[in-house]
Amino acid sequence: MNLDYNEEQTMLREQIQKFCESEYDFYKREEIVKSSDDFDKNAWNLFAEQGWLSMPFSEESGGLGFGAIELSILFEEFGKALVIEPYLATVVLSGTLLDKSNYSGKNELIEKIGSGEMHISLAYAEVNKSYDYSSLNTTIDSNNCLNGTKTLVLNGANAEKLIVSCMKDNELNLVLVDSSANGISLNSFATIDGQSCSEISFENVEVDNSNIIASGDSATDLLMNTINLATLCVSAEAVGCMESCYFKTLEYTKGREQFGQPISNFQVLQHRMVDMFIESELSKSLLIKAMLEVTNNSDDMYKHVSALKSYIGKSGKLSAKEAVQLHGGMGVSEELMIGHYLKKMISIDALFGNSDFHLRKIA
Amino acid sequence: MNLEFSKHELEFKKEVQTFLKKELTSELVEAAKRSSAVFTEKEIAMEWQAKLAKKGWLVPSWPEEYGGTNWTETQKYIFSSECAKAEAPSLTPMGLGMIGPLLLGKGTKEQKDYYIPRIISGEDYWCQGYSEPGAGSDLASLKCKAERKGDKYIINGSKIWTTHAHLANKIFCLVRTDNSGIKQEGISFLLIDMKTPGIEVKPIITIDGEHEVNSVFFSDVKVPAENLVGEEGKGWTYAKFLLAHERFGIAGVGASMRQLNRLKDIIAKLDNSELQRKVNELEIGLSAIEITELRLLSALENGGHPGAESSILKIKGTEMQQNLSELFVEAAGEYALMYPGPHGYESNDKPAGPDYAAEGLSGFLNLRKTSIYGGSNEIQKNILSKFVLGV
Repeated sequence: MNLDYNEEQTMLREQIQKFCESEYDFYKREEIVKSSDDFDKNAWNLFAEQGWLSMPFSEESGGLGFGAIELSILFEEFGKALVIEPYLATVVLSGTLLDKSNYSGKNELIEKIGSGEMHISLAYAEVNKSYDYSSLNTTIDSNNCLNGTKTLVLNGANAEKLIVSCMKDNELNLVLVDSSANGISLNSFATIDGQSCSEISFENVEVDNSNIIASGDSATDLLMNTINLATLCVSAEAVGCMESCYFKTLEYTKGREQFGQPISNFQVLQHRMVDMFIESELSKSLLIKAMLEVTNNSDDMYKHVSALKSYIGKSGKLSAKEAVQLHGGMGVSEELMIGHYLKKMISIDALFGNSDFHLRKIA
Repeated sequence: MNLEFSKHELEFKKEVQTFLKKELTSELVEAAKRSSAVFTEKEIAMEWQAKLAKKGWLVPSWPEEYGGTNWTETQKYIFSSECAKAEAPSLTPMGLGMIGPLLLGKGTKEQKDYYIPRIISGEDYWCQGYSEPGAGSDLASLKCKAERKGDKYIINGSKIWTTHAHLANKIFCLVRTDNSGIKQEGISFLLIDMKTPGIEVKPIITIDGEHEVNSVFFSDVKVPAENLVGEEGKGWTYAKFLLAHERFGIAGVGASMRQLNRLKDIIAKLDNSELQRKVNELEIGLSAIEITELRLLSALENGGHPGAESSILKIKGTEMQQNLSELFVEAAGEYALMYPGPHGYESNDKPAGPDYAAEGLSGFLNLRKTSIYGGSNEIQKNILSKFVLGV
């Protein structure tokens, strides 16, 4: 048993921390959010140069062959800095899905993702399905015509290609289409955490037979496996947010004077910050357990990711709400980072099954 | 990074399991289960202690010359979690976990050679004289007075919440030997024989109907000066050392795991989605505590030491014990109304209702104290404020 990060993992964390500190402070982030672009292309190119965009892909596909632990490190640090670049959409949801698939053209796509040239989005969600990603209204008929509407497609507006989950003869299929293909229409909108999302309709979109990535059980396995990994990633992001909420609140209360003294002197606030610290540590423990289970591809990995997601859904929101409260009026100001952590926590809880959903899955 | 045990550790685990299979009789397990209290009944604890002592596994952390096993931290963890899984009775900690380690650290050679074998053999059964009516969380304000007269200390004052004082033949006490400086100074650590004239023990019955704790009164009790541990006036430092010792392992993860599994079985039969949701929540929470304990253990193994973070385990571990016991009560439904008496299910002439109902309520009431003793959970938060938050 050894619960320490190895040297390579520690170096990766330091590298990401260095980027966040020097290239991605809160003012920079605000600039990106307020600009007309959905994210910063320069930052994305830098990610490519550092090798981060090909990090989780297998070495056969030209990746670095890193796994769940390294991804968790990256997302923890991204969470602290509230990075909005579409790493989850392009690299995790689409890239790792392709990497694990038997799709014939995957190497070229993965290479383009890794070099930062191409964005691909996974269209997995539909309206009123309440986190059930396997029974769908979107269909592909015997002539390979795709029909239906997908919702909450992360980074959909910037994706050159889309991986769409759909039904064919009551079996799940994953198909790849060009987003410029005839019959595709997009309605894009901003998310509360500074990212972009699309609702995408497909009307008789023709799909080439060779672009059916997976069918039946193998499609279900591939999709569930990918969403499980993405769930781990956003949970790690939440753990990073929680740590920052705690540190920033502590720092703020030490500097803020009222009644002639720093408000951190007051026991009622100290104990609430201790609770934030404890929740952050316990969440980190569940993250460690979940990422090790995913690394080992164990039978229990879904259960442990659910346990983590359920826990951080509650504890993450709690920490962020406490952070806002302890910052007083400043906590509700758009100018301060702290309120943006709260928005991030809300969006993380909403993704891939909220806290209650995953709690029911534990039994 | 991995959570797996090495080949050598797995072999050790097997050895522990074999021992438990042979020595941990079903009678012992059943007897331990009947008691819902934190502290195992003395006879049961001592029977198990004797078996462990015979095997040489009673005090793994102690120096080898005094009965230690020279195990790694991971081996100690494997041993205690296997014991918990097999539902072994918990040992009474006052001798083995508190005064023993203190004497090994601060005692004279004579004290070690006299007391340590008697702790292991069970000849001495210790209780802890810390709290006083006027000194609970503010323990350093204690007043129980020890006046040096010749080769003796004369003790006057009282102690309260003294677990098993009515069963013990020895008590270790924090006493005041000096009033002149700040309150933390002038406290000394004394070993006292409970049969010394002038000591009176009065029971305190707790809300679960049990007699576990007591008041202990001292009037002109004469204690030989050689019963002082370490230096006069340094008792507070030793007490803090012991409290930190007490916190590590206080999370009771093994016992909670057992309770959780029982609860899951009970609730599975009730087909109640609300209770199911609650038990799922506790399962996740317990897993978080378990991994946090392993993280501390891993840090220990790599040369660190349990710092203020062990306070997290005290707070969350005791909350978990209480929440589990409360869910037992909820699962009992209307049978929670039934007064269980001090011996749970067996208190009434004819048992009524499901067996877990009575036991659940006794446990719920008994376990209230876990967030109060060992430094209340509020005090733990003060410790974390000071040492982790730095405020």
